[in-house]
Amino acid sequence: MRMTKLLGSTILLAATTVAFGAAAQTRVAPIEIYTTTQSYDPIRYESAYIIADAWRDLGLEVEVRPMEFSTLLDRFYTEQDFDATVLGWSGRTDRLDPQFFLGTLDSRQADPGANNPGGYANADYDALFDAQSGEFNIEARRDIVHEMQDLYKGDAPMAVLFHRDEVVGYNHTTFTNLNAMAGEGLYSEWVPMEAQPLGERATLRIGGPQEPDNLNPLASTSVWGWKWMRMYYDRLVRLSPDVEPVPWAAASVDAVDEVTIDVTLREGMNFHDGKPVTAEDVAFTFNYYMGSDYSYFNAYLAPLASVEVTGDLSVRFNLTEPSAPFATITLSQIPILPKHLWEGIENPEELTPEQIPTVGSGPFVYERYDRGEYMSLRANDAHFYKENIGVDGVEFVIYADAEGVFTGLQTGQIDMTAWRMEPGQIPLAEGNENITVVSVPDFGYFHITYNTRREPFDDRAARRALTMAMDRERMVNVLLDGRGEVGGSVVAPVNAYWHNPFVERFEYDMAAARAELEAAGYSWDSDGRLQR
Amino acid sequence: MSRRNYLIKRVVQALFSLWIIATILFFLFRMGLPDPTAALITEGLNAEQRALIRAQFGLEDPLWKQYMLFLTNALQGEFGTSFSYRAPVAEIVWERLGNTMILMVAAITLAYAIGVPLGAWLSWRRGSLADTLGIFVGLMFRSAPMFWTGMIAILIFGVSFALFPTSGMRTLPYDATGFFDKILTLDFLWHAILPVLVVALYYLGSPLLIMRNTMLEVYGEDFIEMARAKGLPERDILYKHAARNALLPVVTQLAVTIGLAAGGQVVVEVVFSWPGLGREILNAVRTSDFPLAQASFLIMAAFVITLNLLVDFLYSTLDPRVSFR
Amino acid sequence: MTLPPFLRAALAPLRLMMRDRLAVAGLCVLSLIIAMALFAPLLSPHDPRHINEVEDGSVLVQTPEGWVLGESLGAVALNDAAHFGADIGAQSLIVGREGTIWARESGHWARLDGGTVADLNAVDFSPEGTALIAGADGLILLRDGDKWTEIKAENADLRGAAWLSAGDALIVGDNEDIWRLDAETALITRINSPVGRGFSLRSVALDADGTALIVGERGLAIRFDPQSGSTALERLGSSRDLNHIHITTGGTALVTGERGTLLRRAAADAAWVTDPAPDTRALRAGYIDDTGTAIAVGRNGIIMEWDGAEWLLSPTESERHLRALLVVGEDRLALGSDRFVTRLAPPSREHWFGTDHLGRDLFSQNMHGSQIALLVGFLGAALVVLIGTNVGLVAGYFRGRTETILMRTVDIMYGIPFEPFALILVLLFQPSLMIVILAVSLLTWRTVARLIRSQVLTLRERPFVKAARVAGASDLRIMYLHIFPNVLPLVFLELAIIVGVSIIAEATLSFLGLGPPQSISWGGILHDARLSGAWRTAWWWNLPPGILIMTTVLSVFFISRSLEVVANPRLRARE
Repeated sequence: MRMTKLLGSTILLAATTVAFGAAAQTRVAPIEIYTTTQSYDPIRYESAYIIADAWRDLGLEVEVRPMEFSTLLDRFYTEQDFDATVLGWSGRTDRLDPQFFLGTLDSRQADPGANNPGGYANADYDALFDAQSGEFNIEARRDIVHEMQDLYKGDAPMAVLFHRDEVVGYNHTTFTNLNAMAGEGLYSEWVPMEAQPLGERATLRIGGPQEPDNLNPLASTSVWGWKWMRMYYDRLVRLSPDVEPVPWAAASVDAVDEVTIDVTLREGMNFHDGKPVTAEDVAFTFNYYMGSDYSYFNAYLAPLASVEVTGDLSVRFNLTEPSAPFATITLSQIPILPKHLWEGIENPEELTPEQIPTVGSGPFVYERYDRGEYMSLRANDAHFYKENIGVDGVEFVIYADAEGVFTGLQTGQIDMTAWRMEPGQIPLAEGNENITVVSVPDFGYFHITYNTRREPFDDRAARRALTMAMDRERMVNVLLDGRGEVGGSVVAPVNAYWHNPFVERFEYDMAAARAELEAAGYSWDSDGRLQR
Repeated sequence: MSRRNYLIKRVVQALFSLWIIATILFFLFRMGLPDPTAALITEGLNAEQRALIRAQFGLEDPLWKQYMLFLTNALQGEFGTSFSYRAPVAEIVWERLGNTMILMVAAITLAYAIGVPLGAWLSWRRGSLADTLGIFVGLMFRSAPMFWTGMIAILIFGVSFALFPTSGMRTLPYDATGFFDKILTLDFLWHAILPVLVVALYYLGSPLLIMRNTMLEVYGEDFIEMARAKGLPERDILYKHAARNALLPVVTQLAVTIGLAAGGQVVVEVVFSWPGLGREILNAVRTSDFPLAQASFLIMAAFVITLNLLVDFLYSTLDPRVSFR
Repeated sequence: MTLPPFLRAALAPLRLMMRDRLAVAGLCVLSLIIAMALFAPLLSPHDPRHINEVEDGSVLVQTPEGWVLGESLGAVALNDAAHFGADIGAQSLIVGREGTIWARESGHWARLDGGTVADLNAVDFSPEGTALIAGADGLILLRDGDKWTEIKAENADLRGAAWLSAGDALIVGDNEDIWRLDAETALITRINSPVGRGFSLRSVALDADGTALIVGERGLAIRFDPQSGSTALERLGSSRDLNHIHITTGGTALVTGERGTLLRRAAADAAWVTDPAPDTRALRAGYIDDTGTAIAVGRNGIIMEWDGAEWLLSPTESERHLRALLVVGEDRLALGSDRFVTRLAPPSREHWFGTDHLGRDLFSQNMHGSQIALLVGFLGAALVVLIGTNVGLVAGYFRGRTETILMRTVDIMYGIPFEPFALILVLLFQPSLMIVILAVSLLTWRTVARLIRSQVLTLRERPFVKAARVAGASDLRIMYLHIFPNVLPLVFLELAIIVGVSIIAEATLSFLGLGPPQSISWGGILHDARLSGAWRTAWWWNLPPGILIMTTVLSVFFISRSLEVVANPRLRARE
């Protein structure tokens, strides 16, 4: 193998010398790779340097520019002012449906601020995107989704670098039956409902370095706010640990036709202040969200035309167009708010923390939130799911950083981590006899996205060659210590149903990269610099 | 210039400085820092949705309008709502400032309580081995970066011997209603020991050396010679006569140190996960939380400027040689 | 020799320094550190940024205490092993990279020469004891007794080999190559794969019914029937890359693959089941027998053992990548290891200060770290003193409006906290050495300016200044020729102190991750240590940089202390 590569490059080199001087070619423009700072994410930071080294070997002038995270996002999404950027998408449960990740390559999302900053444009791909979105037959939809992955992959508009395992830990002497969930780790909505105490303390203590931006269901724009709020607000549907929709506050969800969905509520549900949960509350909530300035749920609510109350406990959702993800994603994300507490509030996004009605109907009841330190919930004894719940409350201890969380876990201050451990902590955790370490594969991904509007990334062959000149295997092995997997397509392998395992892989192969470039008319000048 | 006029002039100057700082920060943030809603892209928000949020933050208005609003509000002590916490900024800042000050004041007090008498004693034993050793140790802790001392302290006392907690201000969860309720507990003390010690050791050097050197100067003054001539015991001369007169530079240094303390020692807060103002301000800048960052910067600046002012007044009162300029 | 008064003034502090014991010690230490910075590349045994990796012929032996690392078999990785025979004459063959072949007989190792330097990937024994070895670039080796036969297939790497009967073997490899070997004639024939997409085939084993099962990347499984010579696709229930297959004569089977893939078949006619694995990293080889023993090995020293109900991780405390298993009765060996990162190694002869989480040499990092510390220290201090002295001079000399404006600026500078300000600078521009120096100097010149100004205030009333003014000297001349030499001792003192302050400030910024990217500094090393989470145990990582910062700054402070005497002559009288 080694020999062939060597041979290959020697031949190439000879060919290059011949090509030189045949036609006046200009050097390929220098490339800047944007990435996060080392403190924000050492993995992405080091990855960029690994990529840069290989690209330099290919004869390009490459510079890596680490940036503070918000600057990076601004440059990449808002200004689209970049050559190539190393970033990532987190794997949230609602992104298990392929809609979101496939949408990041849709050319209609290529405007500044939207999700396709690389500007990949492929009309066939866009057409297939629309086709899968309206396809209700799940197998037919899967075929389209597989085709889309095959289609974009050959064009290499970006490269999925790797999927990083979420490595979390819990104390197995205090609680049992903590089941990790892909995309959520241990801090899923199910763990507090399923965990069983082993010792005297029945309050599950979670620790993490992140905290909610706020606990206002009409202002929170962070996943950390919603991860907490979803425990005391019920939704019509919850996604099971296998990411199947389970009727929750809804007794039943029936599709009358492609654009009409009837939902019947469970009987006997009450808000934490004792008032019953009715169809009025559900209809109110959806209308309230649609009429508010709060945009976090807009994408989920987009297909919804109107909500009607059809009985004490039944509502009808009228959609503007068929939407495959509505019954799973939308109904599982929107909380049910008590109408009697919210209807009088005109500008809900301006509520101060004390003014927010924290009353829901969920399996836990809000108790307190001390910013930067601590949050707590107690179990709701009147909830329909009560019998299955083993804990008497949930507490969240907010630490300054991953260091603090780990110490908390080691010293028994907390029972589980809400966020992944740092690579250096994992062996220590594994060595601790009270701690169980769980590796949860992620379906989010880290990527390098090329700006297809700019040289040299406007050329398909160059993108393909540069993607081959990228030792992603090494990134996983060295940077992640093997805890992760080289990316195939934007739909992760762990998302087995939608993932197409037979897409082109672009394995690390410098000789192949050079061959690809040469076939496309590139050559190398006397300094070894790539030119065209 | 009369004393009163001088005072008024200095206060006006201080306020002017504050205004300059506020103005620079205001424009620096808005023109130099990234869009505060940039981070929301990763939550899946598109450009329109982000524009809505920017409007809520008041960032869609013309810059001069935002500035006027900011100034009028600031004059009334109103700093707006934090972008990320969606809570009044003043509340957050005061709480964080409290956390920082309790740590810093405790540490500085400890440092001066030890450093001043030790410095006086060293001056008395000048040239001895104890003197050299004292200087060496004082300078050594002054030379070691605080975050490193902190890490080593955690390593030894927190991890190896597991004597002290290594992060935060208290064991959670806890029940407390007010600020004083929070800090007047044994648990809090337990958490504070390591960080206070680390900061105190760093600060120890300056009162120690200043005291020692000033004492050496004072020894040459006439009134000491007089006391000696009267045959007073050396110990009395040292503590009653010399030390009292050597205190002024130490007190000045103390005021300056306390003034700068509001900024906290960011690294100590980071290493010990102390929820102080220094860490908050870093976060606020990182996430472009303009109201929070502005208020934190202004409070720190106000603190430093006020204490510097105080030092000036102190000087003008205690040392008649300084004229009112 | 007569020196100009300006130079003499500049030399005075040096003479004074030599009189102070601590200052002399400080000077010596500082010279050492400067030498360290100048000769860092020469002093460093490694490139400080290089990720150190080691390849090793590693053998892990199972003992009652667990899997223990045995003696290394050289510097190349071992890829596969096979065993033949029961008691006497029993022999194991182990093959590895670069033509490595080892024979193992009753615990004794012997190196064999197969006459090749190609990487060898697979080995298998025929029922008669003929060994078949497959390797890189289509290399096939046959060993019958002492006779080696080399056969060359096409240029793809061969990865798996298995005997189907006494003279009939199957070899598989990249590009979906499947070769059937007739051992009598040493001829090979190509078998067409039913897929034809050029996938890599990794391993092959003889099944209980006499057919062969081939596994490869993306969950590929191909059944070959030697009777009819036909191939057929099979589904094992995984789309991961499958690395190895082992089937017993009884039909129990185990397939191992990427991401902790474990596919097990309990009997010849049973269905394949996917077992949950306790670790999700790559598994490279498996072993199973009919009595219920099953072992799987993989990357990062992973060894899993089947306890009858579930797979359990066996502790190995080894970072080595394991590729093969050799089980001979109770004698169990796990073999590897391709290049592995020497992470978090404690100090050793190779790495004097140990290595960090990416296997980078810490001694070299510490040596290089001195460069940035001193650069920022001296450059920053020079800049600070330059600004501070001039501002102080001008403010103190001219007084009035000039003074007010300058001193209010100083006030404003006092009101800005250091770390957040540096962060803003980094956000406004890019993190770089310039920004660090700028941040350090912009916020420290204020002290110098104040000190110099107050000194100048008293000097300007002195007779010699008044005399100069009467003589008609210009303001500039008075400031820089008459007043400046008199504040020079103070300037030197401040310079020395600020060198120390700047070094600490640089370390602080680097520790907060605001330093220039990819630069090596002492604060940066501590930043890495804390970020990695490993600093609690890796004392060799966080001790040296701190001690180096401390000694450097301390030596500067000692020097500055001796200068204090110059700046404040009243002290001199009493020392």
